[in-house]
Amino acid sequence: MSSRFPLVPENAESLPTLNESEGMLSWVASIDHKQIGIMYLICTAVFFFIGGIEALLMRVQLAQPENHFLSPEVYNQMFTMHGTTMIFLVAMPFLIGAGVYLVPLMIGARDMAFPRLNALSFWLFLFGGILVYYSFLTQSGASDVGWFAYSPLSEKPFSLNKGPTYWALGLLAAGIGSIASGLNNIITIFTLRTPGMTLRRVPLFVWMILVTSFLIIIAMPIIGSAFAMMLIDRLLGAAFFTPAHGGSAILWQHFFWGFGHPEVYILVLPAFGIISEVIPVFSRKPIYGYAFVAGSTVAIGLLSFGVWAHHMFAVGLGNVANAFFALVSMLIAVPTGIKIFNWVATMWGGKIHFATPMLFATAFIIEFVIGGLTGVAIASAPLDWTVTDSYFIVAHFHYTIFGGTVFAIFAGIYYWFPKITGRMMSETLGKWHFWLTIVGFNMTFFIQHFLGVMGMPRRTYTYHDLPYWGSMNLLSTIGAFILAISVIVFILNVIVSLRKGNVAGDNPWNAWTLEWATSSPPPVHNFDLVPPVRGRRPLWDLAHPDMPDEPNAKIV
Amino acid sequence: MENLGGLFNPSSPQLETMAGLTYYMIGVAVIILAIIVIAVTIIIIRFRKKPGDDVEPYQEFGSLKLEVVWTIIPLGIVAVLFLLTCNTMRAVSPPAGDKEADLVVIGHQWWWELRYPKYGIITANEVHLPVGKNLLVRLESIDVIHDFWVPELARKMDLVPGHPNYMWLIASEPGVYLGACAEFCGDQHANMRIRIIAQEEDEFNEWVKQQQVIPSTPTSGQAAEGAQLFQDMACMNCHTIFGTPAAARVGPNLTHLSDRQTIGAGVLTNTPENLTKWLTNPQKYKPGAYMPNMKLSNSEVKSIVAYLEALK
Amino acid sequence: MMVGFFVASESFFFLMLILAYVNFHGSQVDGPTAVNSLNPIVTGIFSLFLLASSFTIWLAGKSLKNKNHRMLKFWLLVTILFGAIFIFGQGIEWAGLIEKNITISRNVFGTTFFSLTGFHGFHVCVGLIMLSILLGLALFGDFKGPKSDAVECVSIYWHFVDGVWIVVFSVIYLWAFL
Repeated sequence: MSSRFPLVPENAESLPTLNESEGMLSWVASIDHKQIGIMYLICTAVFFFIGGIEALLMRVQLAQPENHFLSPEVYNQMFTMHGTTMIFLVAMPFLIGAGVYLVPLMIGARDMAFPRLNALSFWLFLFGGILVYYSFLTQSGASDVGWFAYSPLSEKPFSLNKGPTYWALGLLAAGIGSIASGLNNIITIFTLRTPGMTLRRVPLFVWMILVTSFLIIIAMPIIGSAFAMMLIDRLLGAAFFTPAHGGSAILWQHFFWGFGHPEVYILVLPAFGIISEVIPVFSRKPIYGYAFVAGSTVAIGLLSFGVWAHHMFAVGLGNVANAFFALVSMLIAVPTGIKIFNWVATMWGGKIHFATPMLFATAFIIEFVIGGLTGVAIASAPLDWTVTDSYFIVAHFHYTIFGGTVFAIFAGIYYWFPKITGRMMSETLGKWHFWLTIVGFNMTFFIQHFLGVMGMPRRTYTYHDLPYWGSMNLLSTIGAFILAISVIVFILNVIVSLRKGNVAGDNPWNAWTLEWATSSPPPVHNFDLVPPVRGRRPLWDLAHPDMPDEPNAKIV
Repeated sequence: MENLGGLFNPSSPQLETMAGLTYYMIGVAVIILAIIVIAVTIIIIRFRKKPGDDVEPYQEFGSLKLEVVWTIIPLGIVAVLFLLTCNTMRAVSPPAGDKEADLVVIGHQWWWELRYPKYGIITANEVHLPVGKNLLVRLESIDVIHDFWVPELARKMDLVPGHPNYMWLIASEPGVYLGACAEFCGDQHANMRIRIIAQEEDEFNEWVKQQQVIPSTPTSGQAAEGAQLFQDMACMNCHTIFGTPAAARVGPNLTHLSDRQTIGAGVLTNTPENLTKWLTNPQKYKPGAYMPNMKLSNSEVKSIVAYLEALK
Repeated sequence: MMVGFFVASESFFFLMLILAYVNFHGSQVDGPTAVNSLNPIVTGIFSLFLLASSFTIWLAGKSLKNKNHRMLKFWLLVTILFGAIFIFGQGIEWAGLIEKNITISRNVFGTTFFSLTGFHGFHVCVGLIMLSILLGLALFGDFKGPKSDAVECVSIYWHFVDGVWIVVFSVIYLWAFL
């Protein structure tokens, strides 16, 4: 494949980066993918903290029925911004940032194809996020119409405050950054692979980033267009989504979910990639069924564009439409299941070292399967009719996004922290973090399945004192605070490890992909010498010349 | 163990069908989850690396046969679930056809306007149903998207402005069934509650007759003062009371308010004390609702309460 | 490759605007609509200039390949000119509509028409800026040929903008009047 596309010529001179010793300026002006990646990770951590505070405030309000801790106006801003922050300013940029840091290393390249565009993407993300948050400082406050901003509630005359306008503008800016990242990833992966690394030999994380990038460049323009139309409605009095003016409220939902559903796969596929890297290394076996894991990812990518209206089963689209979307939504579970089975098969027969990354990866499998199974349940339209827009849905997506993506992110952080910083994280603190997360997460969200089934609607700032609703909500709130403690333990671990962690060395986990073939942290130019690539695990082949992965590989 | 409500208390044939499908799917889900959990547990116990053992295990790359098996079986499960889905959909939500609606629900921010076209009744927030009759409900909205959700009786259905929807509503047993708006519709979305009272046929007909009565305006006492205040104090700019000039639709129809169990779409139970509290300052109980604090004096409030209680 | 993927990505942006237009087409019972407000003949003539500009930029590319620096500059200039004429035509069309109180907030036709043609016009203007930069650099002696990534990328983008217009014109002008 790499011979069909022109190889971007290596620069004769090194890319202009300032010496690290020049402090903050070198970071701000940097176009080195590693520095940009680290900046993504740090900024998303800050947004995670903010989004977490928003969640805690909501849970305090909901701990008791008819509570008066937050007014409805403030509560509505909280849940809008919590969702917006966690999806657009934490999960997505973290995974993009991880890709930015790791992909060039994993394919043996020196940087991404367009380093300056890479920097632009980061700054668009950061400033877009700041613009969204700036709305808190305005008189009318932040956006309060939900992260999904259904019309006509989000339009005039029902939403006269400026919050949603800031929200749409900020996200438009961040979205343009994401599209640029997606394009950058695709070109980098297609053209900058080191000789010998065919697309069939790239690490699965790279495959996932590739498919995700295609999803990004298709889904983000969709929401960009929708945001543009929403802004034209709000600022110029147009009629796209206002029924009173001839527009269509349902059209907004089609556009939003046309983006929104591929978006959740954008959030989860790179997480799958992280898991596909961590599990084999800690099981001491290659990934089981590489081709099927890669192929099922492509299937998920394609199918993800055909399921959007399962968010609209209660809108009244008609049973034929409902049946179609129910079918495709259930089908998309099959390639996802294939991955789960392959991960379990990878672990089977291995010699597993349960370091913290592997703890999170193993827990991921169970938590994500729970989320995935409730997903198959609600893919069935009539079942969805009993629980949509209730806490059952809240439980479902937190199991897939938190139990899935965030657990995978933690696994990835513990796994690659040594590579990025040169130091190991504390295993003791890691285990505390892990168990507190398990307890806190499940306590917060498992009970919400029952609340939803019992009739508690979501996006409500309070509820009546119906039997057990108060105690169940209180349990959920306690769980949320345990989660908060777990995050504090994690931050402690990061700080302590940065200062006093054991020196990591090049390859502390005895892993096999190219990023482990250079020092920790890598030099600016990434590799002094790229090892020969004759299989999916170049470092395994080097260490076991008698047992290479591909015995019949042609020497390139 | 108290009645948990919702899906745990299906009270209509529709809900029973949907609950059945739910239990079936949860059963399948539990089995699949159990398989994964057992596999992972075995792995944690049996394939843990023993300290000091650095020999790499057998490097297995995959098996085409296994991949085919665990693709075909889930596809089969999906096929079965899809067929069940279609059957349930058809049973629970058959098309409305040309039938005229028995009940029209119009969503407002943050209350429900209810019209029974066949009886000529207009009321708000509290739906009365005859037990055992399958009613066709038309759902419309005058402002933003709402959702009609009574978890023990029926599916959820959105009220979309510009796009009327239809659903079927039937209760198997008499009783009070609680519901709520289930599509975020603004500040007081949480307090847009539904109350469905299913009654035996004769009781229901009694209720219809009561609702059809146009009460006469009281002519003496505090109630008469209240009637006068109602016209003077701008109440009629938002509310309708049959038999008086008040005919606005911004707020709920108050003609038979005294018969309802709650006020403010479920925010307070309907007692003279609560009605007094509400009229004194509705914003205290439903902040953000479109009924402003009219800044009525205590005696004005007393008179209006007397008037509303007198409308039978 | 980059521009190719970028163009594919932008197509989805335009697709949504086109879908919005198609969704509302015919839903207007009274008030301004495509049929009673637009003049396909005049717009069609201005469109020919945009189409011709695709041809001229292709000629510019050929000149570059043949290392004909003079003709490269000439064809770039003509492309810019034709593109500008197209924008001018859009401008007078818009001015005429706004004069008749057909605006973006008038009704769904106004909304979808102005949004779709507006974003397209914006993309044309961005293209004109890029072409002007190319022309400026060429005047300073750059692009001696036979290859230039910059010229190739801008060409692809310009063809894309033209392609979008063919679709937009068909959907708004031809479909209404068929």
